[in-house]
Parts: sequence; C-alpha cells; structure tokens
Amino acid sequence: MTHMHIPDGILPVWLWVSGFLIMACLLAVSLYRLRGMDMKKKIPLLGVLSAVMLVAMSLEIIPIAYHLNLSVATGILLGPSLGFVAAVIVNLMLAFLGHGGITVIGLNTILLGTEAMLGHTFFYLLTKRLSTYWRASLSTVLALLLVSLLLIAIVGISHVDPQAYSHEHGHDAAGTSSLANFAIVVLSLGVIGWIIEGAITGAVIRFISQVRPDLLAHTLHKDTCRTDPSRCDL
Amino acid sequence: MIDVARVDFWAANGSGPFHRASVLSKLLFLAFVVAAAVSARNPYPLAVGTGMLIVLAVLAGLPWAVIGVLSLYSAVFALFYAVSLRGDGWTYALLLLKAVTPAYAVGMVIVSTPYPKIFSFLSAFLPEILAAGLFMTYRTLFLLLDMMDNFGTAIRLRGGFSPGNIVKNSANIAKGIGALLVRAVERSSRLYAVMVVRGYNGKMAETTIGTIGLNDWLPVGTGIAVLATIILWR
Repeated sequence: MTHMHIPDGILPVWLWVSGFLIMACLLAVSLYRLRGMDMKKKIPLLGVLSAVMLVAMSLEIIPIAYHLNLSVATGILLGPSLGFVAAVIVNLMLAFLGHGGITVIGLNTILLGTEAMLGHTFFYLLTKRLSTYWRASLSTVLALLLVSLLLIAIVGISHVDPQAYSHEHGHDAAGTSSLANFAIVVLSLGVIGWIIEGAITGAVIRFISQVRPDLLAHTLHKDTCRTDPSRCDL
Repeated sequence: MIDVARVDFWAANGSGPFHRASVLSKLLFLAFVVAAAVSARNPYPLAVGTGMLIVLAVLAGLPWAVIGVLSLYSAVFALFYAVSLRGDGWTYALLLLKAVTPAYAVGMVIVSTPYPKIFSFLSAFLPEILAAGLFMTYRTLFLLLDMMDNFGTAIRLRGGFSPGNIVKNSANIAKGIGALLVRAVERSSRLYAVMVVRGYNGKMAETTIGTIGLNDWLPVGTGIAVLATIILWR
C-alpha cells in the first residue's frame, strides 16, 4: 500500500525527476555508509532479501486485496543503508516486471526505502522491555503510517497542475483534486493492511530471532552474537 | 505479479526481429515511448501510438495479447488515480492511455530480452553493488518462487489455509516466510562460498553497452514514430 502503482506518464515531470534526484542522493549516502563493509559478502544476502520482498509482494491477502511488502523486515535484517539499496533493487525489478512505471522508480524507492530505514530505526529505538514480536510489529505499523502520510503528500503535490489532464478546448471540469477522499481511502483501508503486515513482520522477526538470532545483528557476516552478545539479546 | 518464468521463457526462446535487436535499441525504444506518454496531452495520438505498438508486436511474433493483458494491469491503478481527479471522459481516456502505452512497451521489451542482458547493460551505469544485487535477486527469485509454491501446496494439504480466516492465514504465512527467509539465507551463504571458490572478486555482471546495428532499426524507428505522432498531433 505504501508504494505507488502509478504508471508512467501520469505524474508531473518535475515530480518524478525530483524523485530520481532524491533517490540518487539517498543512494549515494547509503553507499558512502557502506564503504567500509565487505561488499562481496553482502551481495548474496542483499539479493536474497530483495527477492524475498518481491515474493512477499506476490502474496495477496485476498479479502482486502493487500499485498505484503516486508520492507520493514528487510530494514531490520539488513540495516538502513543496505535496506535502502534493497529498495532500489526491488523497484528496478518491479519496473522491469511491468509492476509499476519506470518514471516512478525514484518516488517508489523513496517510499519503500523510507519504510526500511524507519522500521530499522524504530526497532532499535523501542524499549527492550517489549518482546521481539511487539517491537517488530509496532515498528512496522509506525513506519507504514508515516510512509502512507508521505504517499498522500506526494499525491497531493502531484495535483498542483490538474488542468494538465484536461481537454484543451474547454473541458475544464477536469482535475479538481479530491485529495481528502484519496487520503480517507488510503488511511482507512491502509490501517487494516498495516495491522496485518505488522503481525506478519512481528511473527517473521520473532521466528528469525529464535532460529537465527545472528541475522538480527545487521553487521552482516560477522559473528556478532559471539563478539557482542548484547546485540542479540532480544 | 506476472509469471516471471513464462516471461523468461519467451525472452530466451524467441527469434523474431525484436529478439534480434540489441538491448540498447530496445531501451531507446522504451525511452521514446515513455517520453511520448509523458508529453501527451491528447488521447487520440496516444491511441494511435498504442496501435503501432500492437501491430509491431504482431509482426515481430511477440505474444501481443498477453502483453496487452499485462499492460491492462497498469490501467487499473491509473483508474484509481484518475478517480482522485474529478475529471471527464477525456481525462480518463488520456490517463488510461498514458498508463497502457508505456506498459505495453515494457511488456514488449521484457518478453524479447533476457533479464541478464538488461542487467548486463545497466551494470555499465550502476554502482557495482546494485548491478550485482540485481543479478543475485533475479537468480534467487526463481528459487524462492519454487520454494513458495511448495510451501503453498504443503499448507493447503495440511489444512493450514482457511478462506476468510485472516488471523490464522497470516500466522501461517508468517511462519512460511520466516522459514523461507532462513533457508534462502543459508542458500545464499552456500552460493557465496561457491562464488568465492570460482574466483568471485566483487564483479560479477558482464558490462556490455553494445552498438546500434542493422537489427535495431525496427524498435528505434517505432519508438521515434510513436514520439513523432504525439509531438506532431497536438
């Protein structure tokens, strides 16, 4: 729900160009933060988690037509920087699978990457008195809520020139934006999706914390649990 | 999500003029069509452009009807967006064609170009981690989809799927994703070890930009024709 399925040619050019520029800046910051890490060891895990996100997106919760993202789970497992890189990969793949436009790759990456970054941040900020399940679930719901508001803001901004889609010979009724209606639909349907995604993310992270706690120490491919047990004390 | 394996089969097994064209020419074709959709202010020339693409797909022996169905997927989301603008029939027609035309072009490219060739081209421009991550994601996606199919069959056979019972279904899906993720990470670790043994040094994608040749006139010419139609028919 928190990435746009808006195809090419619909959003204003300045908006999607800005999306690409912001994505490039965030990607550059992410790659800069990753410069000290052993990239060779991370690429397989990055590929796996990106593929898991794509598979999750193919799972539809039928009664409400909601598909999972697992972006927060990816952020928790990969960390914010590599989580953002995964968001770039997933959106490039989605565009080349015909699931979303090419021009909206930048904006969608910002949304999905923000979910991963916020989810990771909330997960590590929330008090450890909460169980792993509740930390992951609450992180997911909070991240999805904030990113949904960002999505509404982007759609709202995209409506600044509604006449662009109207008939040049006088069909000037076109384009009167109805952002409030859009926001109501997104937030009212979204809240069901956030709860489901939160429950599933919580259960997935709890499962991983039980069978592979080392994966939650996102300093990848280092035996962090052994060298710093507090990182795995979930 | 679309059937990735089927698309991959078409891309790898065709021999028509579109299959023989280089990746560079097909991406130029895509860029021209996207530019046409972005700049269109009138649905009629865009409808003519879509017609040109369908004729080209038929002549090139591409699965034109399947591509049409895939492109309609984007129309659904364009319709949602169109509803948020209180437009008339003109607006709806323009927005739907803006969505369908580039989506049809993307469909033509992906059913005639194996993904590794696209990634190979992109890797000339993208940071190494992104290019390699794209390739790894693509490689892992098929494994995960197979594993997910098996999981789906198993969960139905064992009575783990209850239509309408979101709580039970979500819990089972979460366990499945958790197990899938852990198995996928283990596979990625093995894959990494194999890659290291075979001399992996951080660069895995072949970087080929290619040149425009005799086989490329069809996609490039069609792309230019679609864009010219939009520009000249204002």
